[in-house]
Amino acid sequence: MRIEPPIPSDVLAAVRAPFAQMGADAIDPPTAQPLGLILDLSGEAMRERLILVQADGGAEAALRPDFTIPAARLHIDGGKAGGRYFYEGKAFRAAPRGREAYEEFLQIGLEAFETGAAPEADAEIAGLAWRAAAAGGRDDLTLELGDVGLFGAFIDTLKLADALGARIKRAFASPRRLREMLERAQQPAATAGAAPAGDRLSAMLSALPEAEAAAVLQDLWALAGIEPAGGRSAAEIVHRLAERSAVARAPDLTPEQASLIGRFLAIADKPAAALEAVARLAGPGGAKLEAALKGWARRLAALQDEGAPAAAMRLSTAFGRDFGYYDGMLFEVRSAALGDHRPVAAGGRYDSLFARLGASLACGAVGCMVRPGRAWREGAQ
Amino acid sequence: MSEPLILAIPSKGRLKEQAEDWLADCGLPPRAAGGERGYAARLDGLEGIEVRLVSASEIAGALFSGEVHLGVTGEDLLRELADDLGDRILLMQALGFGRADLVVAAPKSWIDVTTMADVDEVAHLFLARTGKRLRVATKYLTQTRAFFARHGIIDYRIVESGGATEGAPAAGAAELITDITTSGATLEANGLKVLADGLILSSQAQLAASLGAQWDAARMGAARRLLRILEARARARRTATLTWPAEADAAARAAVERQVVAGATARPFGLLVAGDDVFDATTALADAGVGPVTVANPTYVFEAASEVTEELARRLLLQN
Repeated sequence: MRIEPPIPSDVLAAVRAPFAQMGADAIDPPTAQPLGLILDLSGEAMRERLILVQADGGAEAALRPDFTIPAARLHIDGGKAGGRYFYEGKAFRAAPRGREAYEEFLQIGLEAFETGAAPEADAEIAGLAWRAAAAGGRDDLTLELGDVGLFGAFIDTLKLADALGARIKRAFASPRRLREMLERAQQPAATAGAAPAGDRLSAMLSALPEAEAAAVLQDLWALAGIEPAGGRSAAEIVHRLAERSAVARAPDLTPEQASLIGRFLAIADKPAAALEAVARLAGPGGAKLEAALKGWARRLAALQDEGAPAAAMRLSTAFGRDFGYYDGMLFEVRSAALGDHRPVAAGGRYDSLFARLGASLACGAVGCMVRPGRAWREGAQ
Repeated sequence: MSEPLILAIPSKGRLKEQAEDWLADCGLPPRAAGGERGYAARLDGLEGIEVRLVSASEIAGALFSGEVHLGVTGEDLLRELADDLGDRILLMQALGFGRADLVVAAPKSWIDVTTMADVDEVAHLFLARTGKRLRVATKYLTQTRAFFARHGIIDYRIVESGGATEGAPAAGAAELITDITTSGATLEANGLKVLADGLILSSQAQLAASLGAQWDAARMGAARRLLRILEARARARRTATLTWPAEADAAARAAVERQVVAGATARPFGLLVAGDDVFDATTALADAGVGPVTVANPTYVFEAASEVTEELARRLLLQN
């Protein structure tokens, strides 16, 4: 395992200093975390970055790839409504194939599990990450911003049929599938509007009211001697058939709409200019998008108060679409010398994390981490 | 005396029989070498080669790590070792036996799921509804991960299966599986169906060379002799020899010439043609008045050069 070399204590102290004023409790979560939990939350793509450990007869575990899940678990176990947690410790990630990278490295970070105004809290955390990253002495830093919620709000302004809109929003996290959908819409009629492949049974079932269709499907299973498996009910399956046939019947995405979506995803600019471009593209009338844009105006103002220079910021509508568990604003602090795939700091909002961990907590969740080894001007990787 | 070239062949089951039959058919029946309880053998008529009988999965690992020079094992096992075999293993010859497909299978009760695109969408919905990712049970992690990535599926996770993978969905341990199947009967019996575009690999036994093994001139020489015979036999199985007493006239010579242009090899008063083309060729020759044409299957067809052996030599040179 490639281990990050020690970082000079004065650099560490400088990177740590901005965290001291945040009023957070220090935590020291277990190094080994349950493998199943990490994969459920982050997806199979994460597996090749994990370093697995297993005690004799024990469940498979991974050395923590970050502190977010461990911190959230500690918070749930603590039983408090809200809390702020600070950590400093080693995290572990296997180097991607063919790339040199430290596999054991230091992270300093903070997780804020609180209710309260999201834009200001987002800015507070992103500002913290910026100041901590900059404290390492690099002068080539930029703050890359994104918001995975903007896409859905923009799609709503297109006033698509419900099923089609839902399908497109789902495709956001899968760039390839969305690209295929957009390309199909922009092709001439031959392939556009082609109904999804379906047999007569599917067609028949989707023509029935859903409750009735579910009952018919259960009868069919019984007749054919099929034992339902795979954790999907008859109701769920006929609902998907109905939705699919609704998509097939509803007007397809027009070439104009597809082109608007494509142009939306291409927006990457100084935050103010990017938001203006989004508003211009959408036109008036989208309440959700307008609220999101207002939120961003507040977020940017607060970010400036936090000391993040406007000139170093960039907002991209497509940024972070295939990242694990973020569901709102997200950001990376990047160094030109290190390149885009070695962020100095990263973070964002992931309000749905607690629900996904099975806890019903009303608080929001936003956090960040800094890699002191990368923030350090003489550090690397 | 120099160290021998090591050829590993499967030590048990149907694959062992088929590998031994194949070598015998090539004129190189493995003879058990005394002593080590029948786990070593030599090939009649070929010096400098030691045959080792090892389990098929261990052969894959031994080729990867360089413990053996050549090996016969399933392509599914080889491809499971790494996303890219490129710098470790060279596939030399597809052997036509040990056929099996690695496929993605879903519960039959999922009548709305017939393609990988359906899996993608259902996985997304499943995650949104349950907060959990769709689980895919498999013994073939590497190939499954690569295949799902090619289909852009992200909302799933693999559950490593130790034993009977096909039972995982019914047991509630996974929603989907990927597994090896020959007839699909086991999947069928477990209430599963193969997805229309769910073929990950159409596998068969392969003769493979390890690029990481210790190679030297003597071993390369032994490999060259062995491969030349194996290839000559494989080529012979694909070809037929046509002979006739004499070509009568210009029309007959032109008919023969047309066969050569179409891919046959000329012989004095004869042709070497691909097995599939035999009757087309005999018909064309008869029409041009050439005959009587005798057709025979050659035992070996040796060519002066072997592309795959040259490729091996080239790659080994690059390695060193």
